This record gives sequence, C-alpha cells and structure tokens, in this order.
Amino acid sequence: MEESTVPLERQAETATEFTVGLVEAFGAQAGVTDEIDDGAITVRIDGDDLGLLVGPKGATLNAIEELVRAVVQKETGGHGARIHVDVAGYRAKRREALAGFTRGLVEKVLETGEDQVLEPMPSPDRKVVHDTVAEIDGVETSSEGEEPRRYVVIRPA
Amino acid sequence: MSEHDETFDDDDEDFEDEVGGEGNRIVGGNAKAVVEHVTRAIAEEPDAVEVELVERRDEVALLVHADPTDMGRLIGKRGRVIQALRQVTRAAGAAEGIKVSVDVIE
Repeated sequence: MEESTVPLERQAETATEFTVGLVEAFGAQAGVTDEIDDGAITVRIDGDDLGLLVGPKGATLNAIEELVRAVVQKETGGHGARIHVDVAGYRAKRREALAGFTRGLVEKVLETGEDQVLEPMPSPDRKVVHDTVAEIDGVETSSEGEEPRRYVVIRPA
Repeated sequence: MSEHDETFDDDDEDFEDEVGGEGNRIVGGNAKAVVEHVTRAIAEEPDAVEVELVERRDEVALLVHADPTDMGRLIGKRGRVIQALRQVTRAAGAAEGIKVSVDVIE
C-alpha cells in the first residue's frame, strides 16, 4: 500500500480532534488520547459509564471507528494509516476473553485428540485465536471457509 | 466434525445499551449535534451542511442537507458511512431516551 504524504502525527491529531468533538456532541464525559505504534494509530476514549459508546457487541464502537477512518481518509486521500478506536478498554478485554475461551478449547483438543471448530469470526478475532494457539505445543490452527464466514479449526499437531 | 458448535459469547452486561440519561432542553439535541459534527468533518463543503430536526410522533428525524458533490462522501462505499452515522446517532438518541432516524438529502 502506498504511504500517505500526511505525517502519522498529523493523522493522529485529526482522528483525536474529531473524536473529542464527537464525544462532546454525544454529551459523554470522557478523555481522548492517541497512540502511534508500528504505523498504526489507536484512539482511546476513556471515562465512566461509556456503555452507550460501545453498544451491543461493540456495534457503536465499530461505527465510531468507521467514522474516524472516513474523516482521516478525507485528509489522506485514501492512503492513511491503520486506525483503531477503543472505548474503556473494551477491545483489550474482549481480546483477553477470546484468548481465554481459545485456551479452553485447546485443552479439549489435547484431551480428546479431536478437532475443535469455532464459529465464523472477522479476521482480527481469528488472529487472536491463531496467536493464542501458536503459543501452545501439540496443537495447530487453520482458517477455513470463505469470508465473511471464515472460521478457525484447532487440531492436534 | 464440521458443526460450528463452539460459540464465543462476548455479551457483557457492562456494555448493554441503556435508555435514559438526563433531560435535554432540546429534544434530540445531542443526536443533532452528533450528525452535524460528523457530516461537517466528512464533507468537502462543510458550510453547505444543514441538519434539519423534524419531530415526528414516535421519533426524531434528522435530515442532512449538503452540497450535491458531498452526497457520495456522506453515504460512503456501500453505505458504510451513513450506516455508521445512524448507529452512533441512535446511541446518542438512546442516551436522551428518544428514537432517531438520519437521512441525507440534497
């Protein structure tokens, strides 16, 4: 992918300014910070009682992320950095819960010697499963099926 | 074995939608502010953006008027931008205890 000529710091500033205004319009009390790591920008919204900004299964959070991307994209002309948005650590908590769930399935595979087939999930979630299983000896994973119904299988190595 | 029988349930009570919140002087004021903020940030002609608030019997309709050249940008590829805007605006409305719809018109 072609790199944008707009510096990462400038893109992060745009993303953060937009998010601050959005949170304010929403009437929520929250602080907004950004972080640049490995070419990706993470915007964090932190505060109390931010459940409405997360929404059912993270739907509102995903929508906020989509809007932040659209705003930065307007500035970069479509060659902007990867952008993630998190509210009150929701993504990190969800990732940890998914990793814990995966470790439980790995134990089953090791006990029974049988494959475990997970439900279809988006690519960032599959990566959590692959990465978690990769840390454990005696098991391996593969992604099967077609998007958007691609799923992970855990099997004895 | 090919059944998708392992379901990761990530429902978390802490993150459920909740209706309520303190009252606002203007019904749908926050929802309207959200739509104005987002559409002006995305439009190339932000000064041409006007958000009209229409109170209907069971909901508040927010009608976005914008420069015709900004229509595609405000709707997004496969409607991604307008759908995301609707989701966030509904949440802002829920915080005020109201139902909100959003439409973009020239």
